[in-house]
Amino acid sequence: MKLELLGKPEGCKLLRVTIEAAPPHSDTSGAEPPLSPVWRVTHIQIRGDFFAIPEEAFDEIEQRLASAALTELGQRFDSLVQELGLECAGITGTGLQSLTDEALARLTAAIKE
Amino acid sequence: MGFPFRVLKTGLAPAAWNMGMDEAILHQVAAGAALPTLRVYGWQPPAISIGYFQGLDEEVDREACCRAGVDIVRRITGGGAVFHHQEVTYSIVLPLSHPLARPNILDSYRVLCSGIVSGLASLGIAAEFAPINDIVAGGRKISGNAQTRKENCILQHGTILLDVDVDLMFSLLKVPQEKARGKLIEDIKARVTSVRQCLGKEGADFDRVAHAILDGFAKALDLELIEAAPTESELEMAGLLAAQKFGSPEWTAHR
Repeated sequence: MKLELLGKPEGCKLLRVTIEAAPPHSDTSGAEPPLSPVWRVTHIQIRGDFFAIPEEAFDEIEQRLASAALTELGQRFDSLVQELGLECAGITGTGLQSLTDEALARLTAAIKE
Repeated sequence: MGFPFRVLKTGLAPAAWNMGMDEAILHQVAAGAALPTLRVYGWQPPAISIGYFQGLDEEVDREACCRAGVDIVRRITGGGAVFHHQEVTYSIVLPLSHPLARPNILDSYRVLCSGIVSGLASLGIAAEFAPINDIVAGGRKISGNAQTRKENCILQHGTILLDVDVDLMFSLLKVPQEKARGKLIEDIKARVTSVRQCLGKEGADFDRVAHAILDGFAKALDLELIEAAPTESELEMAGLLAAQKFGSPEWTAHR
């Protein structure tokens, strides 16, 4: 499933995030289970007018966010920023998580309806 | 005696060359082949630059730019899309080991932007730094700035708006779907100002403002300005970078 997130969470510049996510375990029945917070990122691209230095290292952050659960995206982002020694302005793990949570809540509500 | 800084006045140039020259200066300063450098320049034809992390097709109406003869270029710095039309643009490059360099991005913006604030003050415009990377006059944005660090150097470039045509700008830029176009344009008109709006048409002369900005940097940062021309090596590198990097569709559309 593909999620397109757009927003300006507190402490962040405008963020646009594309997330492809999948259930953590393959379902032998072949039917895709409904989206839930335990789904994991298979691909992510984060765009926007934020700053992250060195810029080139941001690609590695995106690559290494693949496999993160949707609920731990923000925390994983912050850990990677620290591990790779990036300095960011206008983007935070908290902001990223808040955008993701909002999108999940919207989609979950839509599925229930 | 202040800190010696080379000054380059490179006039109006196409977008890819302008970005190539900023990067060429960075390489030269990093190699110790040039003094820390302050450059003022403009754009001909007008151009839109997008930030390193922005999605090209989400930000820019490429067809509209093509019709209007407006260049598009991706910067090596983050930040947002900028319509370079009626403005003075500057870049400043200094080693991280320089006494004016700050390790932290926000502190660094604050220090370097003080040059713009000082230059605007000398023109009679009371402005102040507005974190993360803006300068405002009367609460309205008059200057946007973007910074990166590479090869143990800081590069910051930014704009001082001489005049602003928000309607033209938004005929070239795309607007997030969440916000009505008309409302956004009205919001931006209320949040942006220019030298012309502050001082009138005569005050918004490119050379006058560029001169004031250079003086502002000299005063605020205690610089000894040494006017020079780009080196042969910089000119050659800027041309190569313009052709092979900043002018290439792969770079421009990489996000």
